[in-house]
Amino acid sequence: MNDPINVATLFLFNIVLVNIPLLYGTVGEIVVEKSGSLNLGVEGTMAVGAIFGYLAGCMSNSLLVGLLTSFLAAGLCGLLFAVLTVSLQANQNVTGLTITTFGLGLYFFIGKGLGEKWPAMTGVPALMDGFAALEIPLLSRLPVLGKVFFSQNLLVYLGVAVAVLVWWYLNFTKTGLRLRAVGENPGAADSVGVNILLYKYLHLMAGSGIMGLGGFYMALNMSGSFEGSNCWINGYGWIAIALVIFANWNPVLAILGTLVFGFFNTLQIYSGALAGAFAGPLGWLSAVPPQLYKALPFIITAIVLVATSIRAREGSGQPAALGLNYFREER
Amino acid sequence: MGEQQYAIEMRGICKSFGSVAANKNINLNVKPGEILALLGENGSGKTTLMNMLSGIYKPDSGTILADGREVVINSPEDSKRLGIGMVHQHFKLVDVFSAADNIWLGDDKSGQVLKKDRYDVIRDMAHKFGFDIDPRKKVYNMAVSEKQTLEIIKVLYYGARVIILDEPTAVLTVQETAKLFNVLRRMKAEGHAIIIITHKLNEVLEISDRVAILRKGEYITTVDTASTDEQQLTEYMVGRKVELNIQRPVVEKTRPLLEIRDLTIKNDEGAVAIDHVNFYIRGGEILGVAGIAGCGQKELCEAIAGLRPIEGGMMIHKGDNIVGLPPKAILEKGISMSFIPEDRLGMGLAPSMSITDNMLLKKYDLSKGPFVDRKTGRAEARQVIQDLEVVTPSTETPVRRLSGGNVQKVLLGREIKAGPNVIVTAYPVRGLDINSSYAIYDILNTQKKDGVGILFVGEDLDVMMDLCDKIMVLCHGRVMGVVHAHKTSKEELGLMMTGALDLSNRYEDKPAGIAKDSRIEEKEEEE
Amino acid sequence: MKNHQPVFRVVKREGAGPGRQVLAYVAAVVLALAAGAVLLQVQGVDPLTFYRQMLTMGIPGSRYPWRAVENFIKLFVPLLIVSLALALAFKMRFWNIGGEGQFMMGAFWAAFVAMKLGDRLPQPAVVLIMALCGALGGGLYGMFVAALKVKWGTNETLLTLMLNYVAIYFLQFFAETKGEWNFFLDPESARPKFAKFPEGAQMITIPIGPFRLNLSLVAALVLCALIFLYLNYTKRGYEIAVVGDSPSTARYAGMKVGRIVIRTIFLSAALIGLAGAFHVSSAGVMSASPTNDVGWTGVVVAWLAKLNTAGILVAALLITVLQFGCQTASAAYPSIDANFANLLQGVILFIVLAADFFTRFQLVWTRKEAAK
Repeated sequence: MNDPINVATLFLFNIVLVNIPLLYGTVGEIVVEKSGSLNLGVEGTMAVGAIFGYLAGCMSNSLLVGLLTSFLAAGLCGLLFAVLTVSLQANQNVTGLTITTFGLGLYFFIGKGLGEKWPAMTGVPALMDGFAALEIPLLSRLPVLGKVFFSQNLLVYLGVAVAVLVWWYLNFTKTGLRLRAVGENPGAADSVGVNILLYKYLHLMAGSGIMGLGGFYMALNMSGSFEGSNCWINGYGWIAIALVIFANWNPVLAILGTLVFGFFNTLQIYSGALAGAFAGPLGWLSAVPPQLYKALPFIITAIVLVATSIRAREGSGQPAALGLNYFREER
Repeated sequence: MGEQQYAIEMRGICKSFGSVAANKNINLNVKPGEILALLGENGSGKTTLMNMLSGIYKPDSGTILADGREVVINSPEDSKRLGIGMVHQHFKLVDVFSAADNIWLGDDKSGQVLKKDRYDVIRDMAHKFGFDIDPRKKVYNMAVSEKQTLEIIKVLYYGARVIILDEPTAVLTVQETAKLFNVLRRMKAEGHAIIIITHKLNEVLEISDRVAILRKGEYITTVDTASTDEQQLTEYMVGRKVELNIQRPVVEKTRPLLEIRDLTIKNDEGAVAIDHVNFYIRGGEILGVAGIAGCGQKELCEAIAGLRPIEGGMMIHKGDNIVGLPPKAILEKGISMSFIPEDRLGMGLAPSMSITDNMLLKKYDLSKGPFVDRKTGRAEARQVIQDLEVVTPSTETPVRRLSGGNVQKVLLGREIKAGPNVIVTAYPVRGLDINSSYAIYDILNTQKKDGVGILFVGEDLDVMMDLCDKIMVLCHGRVMGVVHAHKTSKEELGLMMTGALDLSNRYEDKPAGIAKDSRIEEKEEEE
Repeated sequence: MKNHQPVFRVVKREGAGPGRQVLAYVAAVVLALAAGAVLLQVQGVDPLTFYRQMLTMGIPGSRYPWRAVENFIKLFVPLLIVSLALALAFKMRFWNIGGEGQFMMGAFWAAFVAMKLGDRLPQPAVVLIMALCGALGGGLYGMFVAALKVKWGTNETLLTLMLNYVAIYFLQFFAETKGEWNFFLDPESARPKFAKFPEGAQMITIPIGPFRLNLSLVAALVLCALIFLYLNYTKRGYEIAVVGDSPSTARYAGMKVGRIVIRTIFLSAALIGLAGAFHVSSAGVMSASPTNDVGWTGVVVAWLAKLNTAGILVAALLITVLQFGCQTASAAYPSIDANFANLLQGVILFIVLAADFFTRFQLVWTRKEAAK
């Protein structure tokens, strides 16, 4: 256990394992924000996706049903957001916060309500197997990297795949192009015949659905054990919103961002072990307060946010019409 | 084949925004292979009318026919499907996209995946129409004329058969305009129907086959270009001189109160809005500013009020330089500015706040103590309501809820209450009925008799010719000349407004707009 | 080309009477309770009994009814002050969602004073200094964002959100780090644990029979009145209204918009910091998570009340009854969680947000219009 290479490998392995839900949340929120909506309901959406996905997965004993259900349940949260902000022109900030309040309320209501009847993940082989490590032939035998990147579970690979796919979709497809136009300048998109309503609805739902997958992941990572006091999501939804800024609205950079955020997140747990294993170069790690590691991602994001506002908008991925509702006849 | 079918025909179109009627029973038609010029001053409803073809607005009543069939245009998508393309005056472009992507956005033919060859496709297509663009260039790096070109290419690419251009030449150079006209002629030869919105008479005569004229939201007539001339078109556009009974009291004039020398201002887009303008206002006179809307009036007003930085030149009030002073200091010098924008809210009023509160806008800070003196405000509100016959349920009604011209009565009433020595007022009677308008003219005349200098930016030439002492005509930010209101004619003003007549260098010994008894010292000028 | 007309189109409404709005709110609460009743029934809980317990908050029949009231007040005061403070910011269309962070900063600096001066100065002085330092701590934390927004147009929604988390971990650091220097912790406990405040730093209470009236309630109600005055009758409040309504008009009137924004956000954040100070002083001990989500709930309350001061009082009361009531009522039912309040709160707000649309816009039936 104290072998430095082992400690380092385990540390890196956990960075990936524990923080992939951030990637789902971030990619989902990028899709949403690219359509011009600032949805602050990520936390609640993930919670809803998590609990429904987990329960459906348990009942059906199928990973796929769990995934689909979490996607759909969270997608419904997105639909709610769309109805309120797109069709009914409600304030996006308030609606988002309410989705979080409501989602967490629903999460605890269902969890508490099931009480004794709560299904344990150990009794559901499909979920246990689905979340087990899946070693990729050859690659997983690489030293260190093999363990860190190629011996993860299926959902880790899926998360990365989703991120890359969304990146491709946004930048290399025509629907992606139109979506970006909707977020940048809905008036321009409207004038060339892009159906703003449809684009906003679809992407709010799809983006929220992706967040829901992240919730499902967290449920499995917590071994499906429901605690009355703490939600599985545990603030990851909020971190995802920060990560969107950090990644400059780019899903591929979000993978990198997840690793950076995850690095600090995991460092607070492993700083002691790392300092022990590499007493020479890393001994100082244990002297740094772990809370600083946790706060660093937010501090960095805040600095990024301020820095991009000082620089001209050029090169920033932030949609110009973010947070603004669109009403065609507005003059 | 008998009578050729119209590509687009609009019958009895009406559209109003709230209580303002923008289009009243308009008829319009255009044939394939024809260029129709839509002529009228700004605010005459041209853009609104065209936006009903492009699917931005829906008409309140009336019918639209495309190729002889009645159609309903609910959205820009419908419009595009009908082969109607519009080049908007305010560009509808995504800044962070490349030229090609802005076009690709609305493309329905090519596949889902974006390929690199789209750049070549767009470049080739642009070449075919005689344009030279860099398809990879981002819109935020483009000059205004490039954006314009891109908009035109965009519409052409979508294969529009009816092409609407809203003031396309306003931002183009002479060469670019010539180029554009060549393209339009070729489009016409290929059988496209083209509608070009403009107020430049020489261009109308040069390019169009027929001219439809709108005035104040009403349809006047359609004439064949070949059988008309500048004189007649101007008359259609501005109307015949109507005898009004506005008084023009003669008041002893004082030395210049406000002198503007060599003033240059840029608009929000960074283009020059006011171009080396000279003029002065004396106490006891009303100087009118005439011009097609949007040729620098707004920027001029804002600059005088200290709300807009200037590029160069001087603004001297009673011998003191006011350039660079904060708005508050300019207010304290007694310069009042009121601008009524098209939506009649916006600058000068806080729409959700009550009349009382709006009365206090510029003086809330003058009263003693920490509280806002609403008692005075209410008293003034009551007085303004009474004096100007403002129709309102109470003094506490939010300004937004007021109808008709009551909004600007409140605004102007407040400005006069402050007892200024220079009043800059733009479109104070916009949307007012006759009686309220006269009430406003009376107020301005009373102020004039008290020795106040007034700059009156207006749109109704009849009114200005009766009310003002002198009229300065602007065309695209440049002064076309200052004329005596009682000596000029409506035709002369119309020609100056459209840039066909330049009187600014009529007297060689005396440069226009510079007072003989100027308070500007020689050395100041040299600085 | 299909020749169809949509059934209706959307037009901006000129304004609706207050009656319609009140009606919408009452309907929202009733509908939310009805939806909740269905959920309760599903869980096998009798909704009527539950709601009765919720609305009475377990006060009747309790051996110490005044204790319940005291606890209710401890929940109510921070929510009321934070909501009022947020309304100040929202009036100017400044999206301060950093209430959580500003509250924590207020609580932190108040605790700092409590631990340093709590046993040296008389109680009123300590409480006063705690309040002032809390307000200053929270205020500066918010003003920083306002300054950046004014200077560079930094997105305040996202920045205040980030700063919430910085504040959380800042507090956690003091909560979890044992050390000679860390005077916040209880030296007798082996595990890191916040020490109780000295007597002198406890919130002053006024005994009325067995009931001890928390002075912070009085302060909050006074603040409520003061803010009402400030917003509606003072010059500074007038400036806030103009800037919120139309920044260009404000500039036209010679107002220094940037300065007004910074001043108002300082005030808003300072009030939130003050609420934090009141909270820790009433609790008599610091906590690593002192906010009880008031930073978020405050946004909801301010919005429900349409930023109207009197409305905030009502809405804050309603939400506190929901939350405190659910807490007490759910204690009797293992299958119901205190978060049931959040569920109801969410449904209420969804309905109100939807109803808002019909007060701001109206649908015009195209067919009818054509027939006219």
